[in-house]
Amino acid sequence: MDFQAPTIDYAGLSPVIALTAGLCIVLLVGLFRTAPGFMPALTLSVLAITAGLCIWQWGENESLVEGALQLDELGLAAALIAIFAAAVATILSIREPSAQDAGQGAFGALLLGSVLGMVILAQAQNLLSFFIGLELLSIPLYVLCASAIRRERSLESGLKYLVIGSVGSATLLYGFALLYGATGSTEFGAIAQALGSGGLADDSLVLIGTAMICVGLAFKLSLAPFHQWTPDVYQGAPTPVTAFMAVATKAAAFVALVRLFQVALGPVADDWNTALAAIAVISIAVGNVGALGQDSVKRLLGYSGVAQAGYMLAGVVVATQTGVEALVFYLAAYCLMNLAIFVAVVVRERETDRGDDISAFEGIGRSRPWIAWPLTIGVLALAGLPGTSGFIAKLFLIEATVEADYTWLGVAIVIGTMVSLAYYLRILSAVWIKDEPAPAQPPLPAIAGGGPLARLDGLEEGSADVSCPKGSAGPLGAYRCALVVGAGVICAAATVAFGVYPDPLVDWATTAAESLAPTL
Amino acid sequence: MIQVMLWLPLAAALLACLAPRRAAGWVAALGAAGTLGLAIALLAGFDSASAGIQHAVDEAWIPDLGVRYSLGVDGISIFLVLLTSVAWFAATTWSAIRMPERPKTYFLMLGIAQTATLGAFISQDLLLFVLFFDLMLIPFYFLFGSWGSDHPGREGEGAIRRSPATIKMVVYTLVGSLLMLAGAIATGVIAGDGTPVFSMAELRADPLGEDSQRWIFWFFAAAFLVKMPAFLVHGWMPDAYRVAPLAVLAVFAAVLSKVAAYGFLRVVLPIFPDATIQFQEVILVVALASILYGSVMAFTQTSARLVAGYSSVAQLGFITLGIFALRPDGADGAVLQMVNHGLVIVPLMLIMVILAERTGGDDITRMGGLALRAPVLAALFLVVTMALLAIPGSANFIGEFYILNGVFQEKIVFALIASIAMAMAAYYALRLFQHAMHNRKRDDVESKEIGWREGAIVGALVACIVGLALYPGIVLERSDESVKDTVSAVQEPSDEVAARR
Amino acid sequence: MDATTYGWLILAFPLAGSMIIAFGWKLLPGRAAGWIGTAAIGLSFLVTLGALFQILGLPAEERQLTDSLYDYASAGGLDIQMNILVDPLSVFMCLVVSGISTMIHLYSISYVTSDRGFNRFFSYLNFFVFSMLLLVLAGNIVLLIVGWAFVGFASYALISFWYRRTTATEAGMKAFVINVVGDIGLVLAALFIFRELGTFDLLAIFEQAPEQFSTNEGVVVLIGILLLVGAFAKSAQVPFHTWLPDAMEGPTPVSALIHAATMVTAGVYLIGRFYPIFEIALTAADIAAIVGLVTLLIAATIALVVTDNKRIIAYSTMSQIGYMIMGVGIGAYSAAFFHLMTHAFFKALLFMTAGSVIGAMANRQNIDLMGGFRRSLPFTSALLIIGCLALAAFPGTSGFFSKDAILAFAEYRGGAYWVFAIGGYIGALMTAIYAFRIGFRIVAGPPCEVARDLEQGVHHHVEPQNPATGEAEDTDVGFPGEKHNIAEDNWPMKIAMSVLGIGALFSGYIQVPGVTDVLHTFLEGSFEDSKLYFEQPTDAAEWRGLATGALISLTGIAIAHHFFLRNRAAAARLQARLPGLHTFLANKWYFDEAIDLLIVRPTLAFGRWCDSTFERYVVEGLVSGAQGVAKGGNSAVRTAQSGYLRSYALLLFVGFAGLGLYFLIAGS
Repeated sequence: MDFQAPTIDYAGLSPVIALTAGLCIVLLVGLFRTAPGFMPALTLSVLAITAGLCIWQWGENESLVEGALQLDELGLAAALIAIFAAAVATILSIREPSAQDAGQGAFGALLLGSVLGMVILAQAQNLLSFFIGLELLSIPLYVLCASAIRRERSLESGLKYLVIGSVGSATLLYGFALLYGATGSTEFGAIAQALGSGGLADDSLVLIGTAMICVGLAFKLSLAPFHQWTPDVYQGAPTPVTAFMAVATKAAAFVALVRLFQVALGPVADDWNTALAAIAVISIAVGNVGALGQDSVKRLLGYSGVAQAGYMLAGVVVATQTGVEALVFYLAAYCLMNLAIFVAVVVRERETDRGDDISAFEGIGRSRPWIAWPLTIGVLALAGLPGTSGFIAKLFLIEATVEADYTWLGVAIVIGTMVSLAYYLRILSAVWIKDEPAPAQPPLPAIAGGGPLARLDGLEEGSADVSCPKGSAGPLGAYRCALVVGAGVICAAATVAFGVYPDPLVDWATTAAESLAPTL
Repeated sequence: MIQVMLWLPLAAALLACLAPRRAAGWVAALGAAGTLGLAIALLAGFDSASAGIQHAVDEAWIPDLGVRYSLGVDGISIFLVLLTSVAWFAATTWSAIRMPERPKTYFLMLGIAQTATLGAFISQDLLLFVLFFDLMLIPFYFLFGSWGSDHPGREGEGAIRRSPATIKMVVYTLVGSLLMLAGAIATGVIAGDGTPVFSMAELRADPLGEDSQRWIFWFFAAAFLVKMPAFLVHGWMPDAYRVAPLAVLAVFAAVLSKVAAYGFLRVVLPIFPDATIQFQEVILVVALASILYGSVMAFTQTSARLVAGYSSVAQLGFITLGIFALRPDGADGAVLQMVNHGLVIVPLMLIMVILAERTGGDDITRMGGLALRAPVLAALFLVVTMALLAIPGSANFIGEFYILNGVFQEKIVFALIASIAMAMAAYYALRLFQHAMHNRKRDDVESKEIGWREGAIVGALVACIVGLALYPGIVLERSDESVKDTVSAVQEPSDEVAARR
Repeated sequence: MDATTYGWLILAFPLAGSMIIAFGWKLLPGRAAGWIGTAAIGLSFLVTLGALFQILGLPAEERQLTDSLYDYASAGGLDIQMNILVDPLSVFMCLVVSGISTMIHLYSISYVTSDRGFNRFFSYLNFFVFSMLLLVLAGNIVLLIVGWAFVGFASYALISFWYRRTTATEAGMKAFVINVVGDIGLVLAALFIFRELGTFDLLAIFEQAPEQFSTNEGVVVLIGILLLVGAFAKSAQVPFHTWLPDAMEGPTPVSALIHAATMVTAGVYLIGRFYPIFEIALTAADIAAIVGLVTLLIAATIALVVTDNKRIIAYSTMSQIGYMIMGVGIGAYSAAFFHLMTHAFFKALLFMTAGSVIGAMANRQNIDLMGGFRRSLPFTSALLIIGCLALAAFPGTSGFFSKDAILAFAEYRGGAYWVFAIGGYIGALMTAIYAFRIGFRIVAGPPCEVARDLEQGVHHHVEPQNPATGEAEDTDVGFPGEKHNIAEDNWPMKIAMSVLGIGALFSGYIQVPGVTDVLHTFLEGSFEDSKLYFEQPTDAAEWRGLATGALISLTGIAIAHHFFLRNRAAAARLQARLPGLHTFLANKWYFDEAIDLLIVRPTLAFGRWCDSTFERYVVEGLVSGAQGVAKGGNSAVRTAQSGYLRSYALLLFVGFAGLGLYFLIAGS
């Protein structure tokens, strides 16, 4: 028998390749002693290159590796979001204890590995590559969560994530198996045909399979009632990792979800969309209610993440073009606003000994405008208030639901948002209304100079202190600090910008969604 | 020009952030002055003969979502725009005089708030309106929270803290607003086939089917009634009013409530005519309840802020009553009354600042005899009080008279009951004035004349009140056409309803 | 210039005066404000004369002129002009108002000369005159309401002029609120009228009313009653009268001007002005007459027992206005307005003398403390007696002719209207008695301490105290200074009082039955379409009436002479014999208590209930309820979030089972 190697379009595959190569390089270089800050720089450059390649491939639309992967804007969009998140996470991880313990090299490598998984997942066009991507995404994350080996909570969270995550993966895999059994194919298109040919629509194998797939993905997306690992892990994991997880995983997994359900399981949409709708509503309820009165900001964000996932799922439920557009837009906006918040969390974690407790943010509106404002904007955006991309995103989403006659789902989103205000505003009132408690340690004057940024401060007088005084990790130089804060400021600025002039992002999302259309 | 007017306050505020600390306030004040000037220019170039939208701007904003950036004024909004700019000018200048701490953020918020409010008044796209309507609230959250002060509260009860009070306010009022968002989107999607339509004009041209009108109507009503606030959903008001910084509360009480009333006139009546007719009585009952309840509460309160607050509840009740008379005269009166009430509340709040300084609080039982050395203050306060209680001869009276007349011709009972409130108003307003100004001076009360700069601001506002009292027609005549046009939307069907009965 | 131009000028002068004084309050030296104010009103009086001659120049049927300045508030189908109506009635009212006001201003210049609030006083006073003139000149009902409310405001401002007195501020509040109730009556009447006739313009209303309404039709009666509410509130008729006695807290000139001569008679003007309505709404007219009668009797009885000099006069004012209201009620228009005029003269005069006496008594007003001022205050005493004579309708004085004109008309209407005549005569008897109760107590008898000192030329300035509460007055602001002014050493007061004295004595002769008929003929222009106006009792009947009146008045004076001069013990004995009656009257028939019990307390109680209960449990409940739900859900989630993997796994399988089950059911 002659075995014929699949024809591979290396250009289309270049992002994957770049990441893989970069991963190895970072890992190897990490073994040697390098100047501090070199490894992050290296990681960043790898990400930059990959991003460049993604943008280069933007507009291509073909199937790679015998239909294992599908190169299209949708996948690339998810990839870009993931890469951006990873970049920010890298910046945040500079001199971060966890990164120290794990070794910057390993840390970076793991991060890249996870990103690689996401890229593959987002492009997966058949069950196998789908699963590979998913695992490639998850395993490094398990490690990253536990990377702050000196912190018990970190280890705990890593373990929890590992156990629950693998249960999720198992369920998913079993689901795939059943689906394969039913349809006799792992390739999405083929599955769709098999299902479309009729007869299989109410086949119990397919149904159970779909159910299991739902559960498995619900895990990764931390949708209620499969969300419970989320708060614990978010809180326990090192903050940069949490930030990355919160944003990137959602992006990749959601895109994959859309692909799987609308391409492969499209024909049996009537079976699953109600179920997903139910899950969405439950997540909205549980997430928002659960977040009330949480004192740990990371935990709070974990719950809010559950709720947000619920909102986004609505975009899948409606199974329309607009739905996907809304979803992609939401993912991008969500990425920006969330990162803006996590930046603040990281900075405060290092400055105060109160960790991510909400009290750590009291009064920073007065003393630390450069952190307070991104944080504020991010929170307002999460709450979906106008003037931010969050508003447009919700608008988009609700419009999609109403168009598809899921008005009640739209109303559910709105009600969820109302509840969410209660805890989002708690953060803001800590920032702006509460007075700063007597500082645990006086801010270091040396850094209080804050480098050039002190003069950039246009918001508050006298307190242009954007520096990161000594926290649990070694002191950051002004420039690194500028990097961290800068990342937050950029995210916030983008959030506002897209809130006022959303057109570019909307078009971006539209093209991404359209790329799915032919198969839709 | 209308665009410049809309964005000028925000621009000025941002400029104020870059300006040195001392100047910040004055930069903002300058911006407010400019806005006022533009608003006046707008009025000057206004053709009172036409009912349509004037100075219109209409551009695509988010084409995929069918949201357009379309602005414009008509006879209803023009005066509210004017009121907004007057109120903000007064408040901003006042704040500039008494430099708050962290002025830059303060004036930034004030500027955002003004732009948002103006936007709500001039936007001709439903979603744009909703956007501004929601945005309006955010800056006030910060202003109330950061520059407000905890209130001792009633004796026997605990103090009222800023943070929970403001959160309560925002959540409560946004509950309504977000429902409205959903309602607005639904309207647009249902109206437009394929791409949603949010242009008010088009929505008005072909209204939705009756049953979709019915539920969407309540989504909007919820938003507006809470914002006003109307009876039973005013729960956020007492705490918020007690902690708010007065200069900010001045614009808040003067203008934001009007946006809600305006919303009824601009959105609900034309776009949901059938539902409006169907639920007319319900809303009228709510309005009536607000009038009576507000008045009764106003004369039991000992906090001057709450007297003002509950009197506003009553006044907004009157305005709603006028709007839902669904007659031109009632609506005319409502529009006039919106302007009047705004013009009265602003100086009232500013005077309360003085009272608080002289007597160290807002408890009217701890005031007294202030007029002794402050004749000018007393005189200004007296005029404001008389306008507040709508003494015949004030424009407020004409407003109430028109409103009552409108209701009287439609639903006589409501008018008869509502008229009781006029006597109550006389009592609580006068009570406020007397407790503060008359009787023997308490020893802990310092009777000092109002400073000339503050005096100038309040005086100017009082001048506006008097001017309007001499010639309320200036508003009525200009708004009449647009009002007739708006109300006509609900009048033809009402005839049909009558026919059906 | 035509009459309406004069009309605008009549309004312009007082307003200008008020504004000049108000804005120049810091600049005006000494008594300048007083003179400016007086001049303004004087000019207004002169132009009124101008208007009068203009009117007289016209034929009787063309004597109703209107003129509009601008569209006051016209939109949405309502047409409200800034227009005035100049006709005999309004000109007559203007003459009375501006004439009396001029004198009272003059008097005030001296009376409040040492008051810190001198300028404020005159600014208010001028503003009041403006408002009153606006009221009578208004050409449409809305404008009339405006004037109506403005006089109420001015009255409030002047009652609580001495605002350091708690009693004064409370009295002011009371007066204002009751007056607002009246305003509401008018507003509703206006709305009804607009609903029925579609216009606010007075002449239009009068034109259409007879065509639109049938006699005693329900709605027109309702309109009439609503108008009456306004009239009663303003003219202190039962049960809206309680504010008037308290209004005596104001400076005495204010009582003279507002609460005797002008404002309180606005009700009479209103009813007279709206005669076309009332001649259709007969029931309403009868109500007016009855209430007038009741008021005049009740007030008279109270006036017999109260001891506060000013309050006695106040109750007598109520009683006299009762006569007028009764008069317009039964259709004796010209007579009522005739009495309005004469009453303005003698009642203002009485208050002025009271002011002078109070000045002598260092602000004490209890007549029991007074006595024997005839030698110490000769001038005041003389005019006081003149005032009392006129009030008691002593033959030949002005009150004699005017009061009996009303009663004679009541007789003439005959039938049930006899009641009004008889009641009126009973009232007249009491009037004579209490009039001379004041007169004899103050003027005659043994001189009291103050009087004796005054004869020695010593003018005491005892520590001033609040006449109502007796608490020590704080003289810083709002009190007639250290120097209490008596007419004897202030020529402006003398002039003012003399003029009014002359009026009180002789103004009756413009309308002597069968001899002169000036007023009646003049007013015809305003009452052309009236059914009743041109019906007049025969001169013989009139003279019979006058004779009866003379008899009654003399009897009354004789009784007063017996009780309050010849043997004062008798009065005390009588009082001791009927203690119940006395307390009942002394407590003013317990009207205040009743109103307090029936209206004020329930309202306040309701308010407190809303505040303490409803607001807390229902309104707040909405909020806390929602919070409760959220909190509940929150704790549920927290319990589920135990942190143990096993519990997570459990929920996992539950969820999965549920999902799977759903799929199977949905699928098959």
